[in-house]
Amino acid sequence: MITKNTLKTAMYNAMVKASTLMPPDVKMHLEKAYSEETDSLSRKHMEVTLENARLAAEGKGLVCADTGFPLFFIRVGNAAQLEGGFGSLWQAAKDATAEATEKNFLRPTMVDPLTRKNPGNNIGAEMPKIHLKFDGDGDELEIIAVPKGGGSEIFGTFYRMMYPSDGQAGIFKFIIESIYDSCYAGKVCPPVIVGVGIGGTADVCMQIAKEAAVLSPLGTHNPEPQIAEMERKLLDTIREMGIGPMGARGINAVLSLHISTAVTHTAALPVAINAQCSICRRWKAKVNGSGEITYTGDING
Amino acid sequence: MAENICDLKLPLSSKESEKLKLGQIVTVSGMIFTGRSRFHIRVVEENILPPIDFEKINCFFHVGPVMQQTDTGWEIVSIEPTSSIRFERYSGQVIKKLNLRTVIGKTTMGSETSSALAAVQGVHLSKIGICGNQLAKQVKKVHTVYFLNELGKTEATWVFEVEKFGPFFVDMDAHGRNYFEELNKDVRKNLPGLYKKLGISPDYAYTHVNAGQEG
Repeated sequence: MITKNTLKTAMYNAMVKASTLMPPDVKMHLEKAYSEETDSLSRKHMEVTLENARLAAEGKGLVCADTGFPLFFIRVGNAAQLEGGFGSLWQAAKDATAEATEKNFLRPTMVDPLTRKNPGNNIGAEMPKIHLKFDGDGDELEIIAVPKGGGSEIFGTFYRMMYPSDGQAGIFKFIIESIYDSCYAGKVCPPVIVGVGIGGTADVCMQIAKEAAVLSPLGTHNPEPQIAEMERKLLDTIREMGIGPMGARGINAVLSLHISTAVTHTAALPVAINAQCSICRRWKAKVNGSGEITYTGDING
Repeated sequence: MAENICDLKLPLSSKESEKLKLGQIVTVSGMIFTGRSRFHIRVVEENILPPIDFEKINCFFHVGPVMQQTDTGWEIVSIEPTSSIRFERYSGQVIKKLNLRTVIGKTTMGSETSSALAAVQGVHLSKIGICGNQLAKQVKKVHTVYFLNELGKTEATWVFEVEKFGPFFVDMDAHGRNYFEELNKDVRKNLPGLYKKLGISPDYAYTHVNAGQEG
């Protein structure tokens, strides 16, 4: 049995670690991008970002002050037993988010969309968000906390319903247009991680795009060779756009690009894009059936 | 940071601002105040202004800082410049009304801001990298805060004294020019090559179904 208290502790610590520590794959890819850039402003952008993350890890602040939307991606085995049932996850997420906000690991950023009233604790309708998936027959639980910044969500979200005859050219054109639009002037904080969803309904399409952006290990490719080829072709081409870190001159507008697909209607070709900012904040808590928690910044770990 | 970065004394004089070049990396020292959407909307729509002498405290910082209250007063946890373009609808009017010569935020703004800055010989400075922790260390004193109860910590107007605050770069100069618009001219030249490489013909158009949908 996994207790309510364990759930809250795991969510709280995963969110705090996500806000203060840069995941190892992200750091490695940012350092590689830095070594490739030649423009002095582009290099300065990356130097400052890496130094900022170093200070955060030393307890001197946050990887970025815009801690954005509090998201939890949870994968759970069918045999997992939670005190109070699965509904406990939502209360634990609220408690964890409120405490992280009170202790200044999250900025109070969630407001009512119309009145703009800020409750001060990042809690409201649909937030914090839990995306729950059942996977396998185990009794364990895996929680990935993602504080997703406003820049990437506001300027890096695109959706287009195309048609089968629009073909791969249409998909590619839409992806390039979206990356150009979002990386212009560094709005999404490039170099970004781009998630592309193809197929599903509109909401499924955006959901898989978001998961591709925030949960993919950087530098990996889709196991389907034809899709991996699309990813490589796009990554290779984007380097010639002329936009680099934070929208300055350079080649690294995009750090990693991941396409995810879902079956769709025979008449439809929906495509969604969701960008994740360069610092790609995410941290994982793993809870086994007896309630022991381990944390890792390795998304595959 | 490199020693040769120019440190601008606040309030910025028109003599200094006019010399600043697009892409130039600078720091600032002196007094600054903060605000976001609510500040802009309230100044323009409701004429609600904090009791600040804007001639002396003339540098407007687009930011929602992470602040914590301690026994000795307010402390900054992190202070990351926010996207300035969100304030474009009101920014030109605010700049002219308060005669602001220095605006600091994240990335570019639009034509209204650009012409307002040119009118007051002002510049817009944009953040370098993700920098909230370094900037927090350069704030020497949290002087005061306005609108805290009404707007909360993020949207409130904070007044800070800063020293060698930055670095930032000049993305909009005092002559109406914009770093990103200049860079974009080159990007637009590159785009046809990108489409060609991906097998997208120059006359490719998405299928139009809805009357209002653009290709």
